[in-house]
This record gives sequence, structure tokens and C-alpha cells, in this order.
Amino acid sequence: MDSMLLTLLTLSPLLGLVVLALIPRSQVSSIKLIGVLATVLPLILSFILYAGFSFNKAGLQFVEKHTWFAIPADQVSFPINYELGVDGLSMPLVLLASVIGFFAAIAGAVFLKKRWKEFYILFLLMEIGTIGCFTAQNLFLFFIFFEFTLIPMFFIMGIWGFVEREKAAMRFLIYNGVGSAIMLIVFVAIFMNVWTLNYTEITQALNAPNSPFNTPGSPGFVSEGLRTGMFVALLIAFAIKIPIAPLHTWMIKAYQESPAAAVLVSSGVMIKIGAYGLIRFNVGFFPEAATHMATFIGVLGVINIIYGAVLALVQKSLKLVLAYSSISHMGIILLGIAAMNTVGFQGAIFQMVSHGLVAALLFFIVSMIFERTGTADIAELGGLAKSMPFVGGIFLTAAMASAGLPGMSGFISEFTAFLGLFKVMPQIAAVGTIGIILTAVYLLRAVLGTTFGPTANRWLGLADAQPLEVIPMVLVLGLIVLIGVYPSVLSEPLQATLQNIVPRIGG
Amino acid sequence: MSVPLASYLLVALILFCVGLYGALTKRNAVVVLLSIELMLNAVNINFVAFAKFGVLANLTGQIFSLFSITLAAAEAAIGLAILISLYRNRSTVNVDEMDLMKR
Amino acid sequence: MMSSAWLIPLFPLLAFLILLAFGRQLKEASAYVGILATLAGFILALGAFFERFAAGAEDYYVAFKWLTLGDKVIDMGFEVTPINAMMLVIVTFVSMLVHIYSKGYMHGDDRFPVFYSYLALFTFSMLGLVISPNLLQVYIFWELVGVCSFLLVGFYFYKDEAKAAAKKAFIVTRVGDVGLFIGISLLFWYSGSFNYVDIFNAIQNGVMQPWQITLVGILIFIGAVGKSGQFPLHTWLPDAMEGPTPVSALIHAATMVAAGVYLVAAMYPLYLASPDASQVIAVIGGITAIFAASIGLTQRDIKRVLAYSTVSQLGYMMLALGTASVAGYVAGTFHLMTHAFFKALLFLAAGSVIHAAHTQDIFEMGGLYKKMKITGTVFLIGCLAISGIFPFAGFWSKEEILGAAYTSGHTGLFWMAVVAAFFTAFYMFRLFFVTFTGEPAQKNHAHESPAVMTFPMLLLAVLAIVAGFINTPGAPILGHWLTEGLRGVPAGEEHSAPFWITIVATGVSLMGIGLAYLMYGKKSVSRDIIAGPLPWLYQLSFRKYYIDEIYDVVFVRTLRAIGYFLNVVDYYIIDGVVRLVGAFTHELGNAEARVQSGQIQTYGLVAFLGIVLLVIGLTFVRGLVG
Repeated sequence: MDSMLLTLLTLSPLLGLVVLALIPRSQVSSIKLIGVLATVLPLILSFILYAGFSFNKAGLQFVEKHTWFAIPADQVSFPINYELGVDGLSMPLVLLASVIGFFAAIAGAVFLKKRWKEFYILFLLMEIGTIGCFTAQNLFLFFIFFEFTLIPMFFIMGIWGFVEREKAAMRFLIYNGVGSAIMLIVFVAIFMNVWTLNYTEITQALNAPNSPFNTPGSPGFVSEGLRTGMFVALLIAFAIKIPIAPLHTWMIKAYQESPAAAVLVSSGVMIKIGAYGLIRFNVGFFPEAATHMATFIGVLGVINIIYGAVLALVQKSLKLVLAYSSISHMGIILLGIAAMNTVGFQGAIFQMVSHGLVAALLFFIVSMIFERTGTADIAELGGLAKSMPFVGGIFLTAAMASAGLPGMSGFISEFTAFLGLFKVMPQIAAVGTIGIILTAVYLLRAVLGTTFGPTANRWLGLADAQPLEVIPMVLVLGLIVLIGVYPSVLSEPLQATLQNIVPRIGG
Repeated sequence: MSVPLASYLLVALILFCVGLYGALTKRNAVVVLLSIELMLNAVNINFVAFAKFGVLANLTGQIFSLFSITLAAAEAAIGLAILISLYRNRSTVNVDEMDLMKR
Repeated sequence: MMSSAWLIPLFPLLAFLILLAFGRQLKEASAYVGILATLAGFILALGAFFERFAAGAEDYYVAFKWLTLGDKVIDMGFEVTPINAMMLVIVTFVSMLVHIYSKGYMHGDDRFPVFYSYLALFTFSMLGLVISPNLLQVYIFWELVGVCSFLLVGFYFYKDEAKAAAKKAFIVTRVGDVGLFIGISLLFWYSGSFNYVDIFNAIQNGVMQPWQITLVGILIFIGAVGKSGQFPLHTWLPDAMEGPTPVSALIHAATMVAAGVYLVAAMYPLYLASPDASQVIAVIGGITAIFAASIGLTQRDIKRVLAYSTVSQLGYMMLALGTASVAGYVAGTFHLMTHAFFKALLFLAAGSVIHAAHTQDIFEMGGLYKKMKITGTVFLIGCLAISGIFPFAGFWSKEEILGAAYTSGHTGLFWMAVVAAFFTAFYMFRLFFVTFTGEPAQKNHAHESPAVMTFPMLLLAVLAIVAGFINTPGAPILGHWLTEGLRGVPAGEEHSAPFWITIVATGVSLMGIGLAYLMYGKKSVSRDIIAGPLPWLYQLSFRKYYIDEIYDVVFVRTLRAIGYFLNVVDYYIIDGVVRLVGAFTHELGNAEARVQSGQIQTYGLVAFLGIVLLVIGLTFVRGLVG
């Protein structure tokens, strides 16, 4: 039944959803329990997937393909298939999505105050979307899963958020709606040109030397201009998702007003969908355009890094520091992509996974502090390490991971991404390294301002982390350290796939 | 002796205009409903007239007028039911006060 | 023993993990875990050292695959070479002594186990750095020691000064680290590897252009500048004295700050190939030596004086390495070793003084010698060693540095170093006389420290006396061994330094001691002899040349101003445009909503009129009328 594994994995949250629907909303503790357990199932399945994944194969694995329905056009009809599969590129991200799903479900149980049943139903729908985005093998399915992440997120933000939650949710929805509209247009344009939706077939059609769509003069030829146009449009669509400055403002509000579980999923997985799309679609489908635009992407990356870092430096609220820090860290992904070589892509993917874990951990900690003190204002906090030594310690550790301390995943991703870029654009990379310094500056400012220094009397009686909070944090930290100490767990599955992508871009 | 088609149409037209005028100007919802009935009946007259004098004269027109009458009855029933429940809640049947959707 | 050298760092790591898990239960027994781990490490390190030291021994190298980057495979492993065998011994030895000493010094602290776990983590990282066979691994541990330093400087986290100092230590060294980061990244692509051996092969085979070697050399040196507190990134080191004193002895005197010197020494074949990069090192080293020494003259805090002296001594080492000669290489690493002993000794003794006097201001002490005989004696030994008085350890190594600077033709730097030597002798003995002699400045119940603290000091004192004999001009055992396998040594014979250098160096040191005695011991010369007529000169030195203030304005405030400016841009312009679009759409909707009166009859009327218009229009267009 190996061939069914991906379907099982992608749709596994449904099981919890059904069970939840049967439980009366008054039984809060069993709802929380089921909600968390429901995310353990995909977690286990994704580890089974990793165990069964063969590192040496370049192509897709665990492929499933069924005809779904067909679109009639001009006598012929084009089948829309249900196709799933993973390769080295999506494998780590599937793992990430299920880990973060589990983590966020716990965050929901710990931090939410009302309507758990509705929350978990929406949340599990969202998890289907996030996992599905990485397992889907055609544009149609990808788009459906993509939308599956948006709508539940909108409701979670809008219902369980803080003071200005509706505004934040609207902003999130509109920004991302515009993004997915642009994406949809490009997808349709691709379909209308090469008449297929499957990733591999599109790549073949657009790039194989003998393909009619790639031969100038043949009737179906997709011109250079059209390709560049589609590339740019897709770039904009994903730039909103990632987000790339100046399309980032939805994220600021969202981080400030959303409940912890939503931010965990958003920063941990959803913004990675944008980066994944950038590699899978932009670079995968239009390698030539990508090569031409590499310098531009590199510059965007540097701007993101420094812009985010400088802004994070002056924020008053811990949540905003983390929001801008996310923007800064996404810049590193762009740098890795801009390098257009194996090392760079590896760095970009490392950074997706690493930032997913680290950002989720950091936001979980900030939520703990926020829940206990009722504020996220750095100036009001201080000296928390005295009353909450564990929280203080893990906050500092997570911040160090975020700042790229060796021995943790942040280092390995930052290092590989920069190393890749140093090969091709040393000047841009050198400017980007300023961000490494700034990252340390703003993180230390935030963390030391919160946990170090004299302790105000009102913070003396705060409770340290509870077991339910400690366990997921330690697990995630364990993963961060594992990747940092032995990065081969991530890099080995990647190698064969990257060998497949990179030659096309002449890297 | 046969009445020409034009006379039927004229009667229907007058009836329709009266109905339209009533539907657009009367404040009492019951009167508005009545006016709508008038308009429907104007259509019925046209159906029947064309069934007799049309280019392809056949029974279809008469059948449709039967449909239309059924429909008018259903509509009146539902409309009046809504009106009554509305009256119970807001103790008015004035059309210009029925703007709940706007508020 | 060399084959099991990889175990040396693992003992402290194990200790760290044990303390992390069971520290709370162990309480003060944590000390034994740390002491045992470092003792085991020390014994193994000695074994490895002697095995490597034996005649005919070769370097030992082991590695395993760590990470695949495309077609490149990056290894992790360890190696044993002369210089890192020496460092292993120094680090494990000093670390062990500091572990023992801290048992007394930190007694009664709430976070005793935490302190020991940090110490163990640091020891692990430092040993890992030393044992690394490639630059990536060096960089990894380089960062880790930086973090440990940060954690230990900020150990008293509830103090605002400690918080600021820790932050500063981390960020300023991070600036240097970025230089190193860029350096090794570029070097990786230029030479195709992170491994020392492969890099040196690449240089020897002419794979790299001269400008590439120089660029990489300078970038790597920037890393060393940050870590070793060289000008202009020295500002963090004196502030780092906010940490517990044993930490200052271990990290900020003997081991971590020497990592920069070690790195330059380990990369020596690269610097031998680039005279320009070497010149930069020599000049920075020379400037730092005299610059820091001149600040040390006026400081009042006992630990800060020692900190500036550390900076200054590290400058000496850099100066020696920057001469790009075999003699300089030997002198630099030799001084690294002797300095580790006598500076650790001085810090531990200072810790003992602080432990007893409960102040760090030397002018609040005085007359402590009577109450603390052992501490006073070992402090004096340390002062004599650092001042370079025969036959103490510092004499031999400082001698070699001056000789190397002179024979390699850096005459200007040589005289700067001589002046710095005078300053060094003066401020060290100023410290000694003010603290230990004279009358107590205030009543205190100072008493000698417990044996657990004096024992390590005595051991170090012995080494501060005898360590120099391992490399005397007549019998350069260490130097010979260190340079045996050194690659890329330029051809041509080495000149031995003229004997008058010894006389000059000893002379200026004695002058410094004498002046300090006259001013602070006998008090026959007024202390204000300089500060009186030239107050600005005194202020310049006392205020550390206003470097902190300059950095504050140039970097900190500027950056913050840019931050606030961008914040405004972000809110009013970038987000402003978004809100404008939103508001516009909203207003448009409002305007249209006003048309929607909710009156069904109005809608009907409008619809009717619309139909009428449509019909009329269509009639005209189709030409049915007229």
C-alpha cells in the first residue's frame, strides 16, 4: 500500500476532523486532545515517508496518479488528474509542515480561550492545505490546496485574534487573494500554452530541446517575452506570500493580531509555500528567465535582509521584532535562490526548514511571555530570566539559532546560502553579510531586554513553562540542533533532486 | 364575429400598465401584491391571445397561462405569508418601511 | 594517544550535558563533574602532546563526511599538529585550574551549576576550535566560544552593566566574525576546500592569485581582530570584565582571546605568501600594543587594567606574526603560551583580591600584602613575568618578539613595542604597589583565599617562572619543533637578534617599574606629574580615547536613526499606499451604497425607466423609427 501513502498523509487530518465533528463542543479537554492527536497522525506518516524515501533517486517518489475529470476544448479534452508525489525538494517541507502542524495544535490547546471545536476543524483543514501544497504534482491541485490554507487562516485570524483581528484578517485575505489571483492567471496561461498542468510535463514542454513549445518557429512556441512575463507575474504572486519588501505589510499586522497557532503555521509553513513555489515554478519552469533575473533576485534578497533587520531593530513589540525578522530571514532564501547553484538552493531549502522551526519556536515563546505578562512590549518587560529561567534560557537559545549560531540549523542554512552566493556574486553577498551582524543586534536587544536586567516586582511571580509547553519546545529545539549538528539528514535527500534542477540553469 | 388581436393586446397593455403603476407607487404591500397579480394576468391574456392568433397558433400559450396562474397563486400565498409575519413583527405593511437589508 | 585526541573536547561536552540535565540536583557538586572532565582532557592532551613531540612524529588527521554541497563534500574531523597540540595542553590546563579555582570563587552563588555548565561548554568549544582540521569547523567553534563568552560575561544577568557588556561582546566580535565568514567563503571557492592542508597546497601550487591571497588573508585577520580584541574592535574586551573573574582568566586572558592569534598562526603559510596582509597584521598589532598599554596607565579598575594589558599583549603577538618570518611565528606562539600562564595567574590573583576586598577599584584597596601573602606573591610574580624581567617567562617570549620585529625590518614598530613595554611595566607595578603596599584605603576584613583558590595560582606561578626555558635563544626547543613542518617559509637565512635589544627591553621595563615605585610605592614623585600640567592627555587615556563614544555616535545612533526613519517610511509610505488603496475602495463603495436606498419601489421604477430607455435606444439604433 506504499503507493497510497501520500494520499493518506495529505488527507490524514480529515480523520481527526470527523471525530471532532462528533464530539459535543462542551467537552473541551477531549476536543483539545483529539485536536492535538489528529496532527500526530500526519507527523507519524511523514516520518514513515522520510524513512521510505530513497536518497539516490532524482525523480519523484511515491507517485500517485488518477484521472479526475476532463476539460473539453476543441474536439480534444484535457484530463485534470489527481497526482501526488514527492522529491528531494518537497520531502523536507512535508516534514516541516507536519511538525509545525503538531506544534501549532499544541499552541492552540495552550493559548486559545474559546471555541476550540471550530478552531480545530479549521486548523485541520488548513493542515491538509499546507501538506497538500508540497505533495501536489500539478498546478490545479496546488492551487486548490493553496486556497485551502488561505480561507481557514482568515477565519482563525479573524475569530481568535487580538484587538484588531478583523482588520488583520481582511488585510491577510486581500493581499493573499491578490497573490493567488495572479498565480491563477499564470497557471491558466501556462495551461493555455502547453496544455498540461503536470509539473514534470510543463518543465519538459518548456525546456526540452525537441519540444514544439521550445522550438522557435513551431506553432506552439512559447516566446521569450511571454516566459519572462509569466516569470515576473509568478514572482510577484510569491513575493506577496514570502513576503518580499515592499509587499510585506500584511504580515506585520497579521503577526501582531493573530493567535499563536495561526502565526506558527503562517511563519512556519505558509510563507515557505511562497519560497517553494519560487524554486518549483519560477526556477523549475523558466530556468532561463531565472538566470537572467538572478542578480535582481539577489538584490531583492539583500534589501529584504537589511530592511527587515533595521526595522526589527527599532520595534517596541516582541511580536513585531519577530515579524520583521521573518522578512529579513526570507531574504536569505532569496540569496540562496539567486546563487542558482547547488549550494545556494541547498541553502535556500535549509533556510526554509530552519526558519520554519526557529520562527515557530520563537513565536511560541513570545506567546508564552505574552500570555503570562499581558504585554509584548520590550520596554515593559525585563529580568524575566529570574522568574522563568527555563523560558529565558530557551528564548536565548532560539534567538541564537535564529542568529545563525553553529550547532543549530540557522547556521547551516545561512552559511550554505551565503556560500552559494559568494561563488557568483561576491559583492552582493558581502553586502548581505551586514545582515548577519544586524540580526545579532536586534535579537540580542529583544531577548536581553526581555529576560536580562533587573526584574520588576510585578514579574517576580510568573510561572515558568509547564510540561505541555516544555515538551513541544524541546522537541523542536531537538530538531533544530539535529539539523545543525548533522545537516546530512536534510542535505542527502536533496542532492539527487538538485542535480536534476541545476544543470538546466547552467549552474 | 371575431375580436382582433390588437384589442386583446391593448387590454393586456392597459392592465399591465395599471399593475406596474400600482406596484411602483402604492405604499401598502397588499396593494402592491394585487398590482403584481394584475401584471401577471396581463401576461396571461397575451399568452392566450397569441395561442389563438399567433403565427404558429397552438395550445402551448394556454398551457403556459395555466402555469402562470399556478405561479401567481403560489406567489400570492408566500407573499401574503411573509407580509403577515412581517406585520406581526413590525406592525406595518408599508413597502417603504421594508428596508431591513439596507440597515 | 594522538588517535584518541578527539576525546579531549568530548569530556567537557559530556560534563556540559550532565550539568544541563542534573545541575539542579548536583548543586555545588557540579564543580567535581567539571574538574574531572577537564582533568581527563588535560591528561589526554598531555599524552597527545608528548606523542607529537617525540622525534619523527607526524601530524595526525582523521575526518568523516559531514555535509554534501553539490559536488563538494565537507568533512569534519580532527588533527594533531605541533601548534594545536601545544594549544590543547594550554587550554585544558588553564581550564582545569579555573574549574578548581571557581569552586572557591563561586561558592554560594545560586546559579553555581549553571556557571559550571557554561564553563564546560566553553572548554568544549575552545578545544574543538583548536583541534579542527578545517576552517569551517574552526568557524563553527569560533562562534560557539563567542556565545559561551557572551553567556559568561552576562552571567550576572540581573545587572544592567553585565547585560550591556554581554551584548557588546557578542556584537563587536560578530563584526569580526563576518569578516572571517566572508574570508573562508571566498577561500573555499578560490582554493576549493576548507581544509588547511588543501588550502596550503592550493597556495603552493599557485592556484590562487596574489590579490586573492591578500584579500582572504585580511578578511580572516578581521575575524582575529574581533576575537583577540585588536584595534579597532577592542572595545568589548575591557567591558567583558563584568563577568565573574575566573571567566576573565580563562576566556578573556588565556584562551578565547588568543584564538585570533592561533588562527593567524594556523593560517601562517597563507600569510607567508602575502606580504601585504602580513604588513596589515604587523601594523594593527603594533598600534594595538601601544594604544591599549597607554589606556592601561590610567584605569582604576583592577580588572580593566588587566584587560587592557591583555589587549596590548595580544597586539604584541600579532605584531610578531605580522613580521611574516619564522622567528615571528615562533615568537608569537611562544608568547601566546607564556601569556596564557601569567595572565591567567594575574586574573586569578585579581579575583582573589576582589573576593577579599569586595571592590574592584584599586584606590579603595591598599596594604593587602600583609593580609594576603600568597596572593600578593603570585601577583608580583605575574607582574614580573609580564614586564619581561629575567628569568620569568615573559622575558624570553617578549625578547623574541622584539627581536623578530627588529630583524624583519619593522624598525618603527619595534620602537613602538619598546615604548609599550615601558608602559606595561609601569601600569602593572602601579597596580601592584597601589593594591598591595601602603596603608589600607578603607577598613576591610580582607583575608587570604581558601586553598582551592590559592593552589591553582601557585601552579600557574611556577609556570610563569619556568615556562620560558622551553625556548631560550640558546636552546630553542619549542621553536624548532613548531617550525619543523611549517610550509611556505621563504628562503634565506634568519638573522639572530642583536644582544642590545635584550638590554634595551630589560632597561625600559626596569625604568617603568622604578617610576611606578617612585610614584605609588615610595610616593616621592607626585601622581599628578603628568595629569597636572596636561589634564587633556590624562583624560584622553582615562576615557579610552573616546572610542566608545565615537562608536556610539557613528554606528549605534546612526543605525537607530536609520531604523526609526525606515519605520516611518514603512508605516506612512509603504503601508500608506496600501491603506490609501483600501480607503479609496472603501469610499467608492460608500458612495455607491448611498444610491441603494433600500426602497424596492424606487429600484423597480429605475429598472422600468431603464428598460424604456433601452427600448428607445435600440429602436433608434436599429433604425426602426424614422
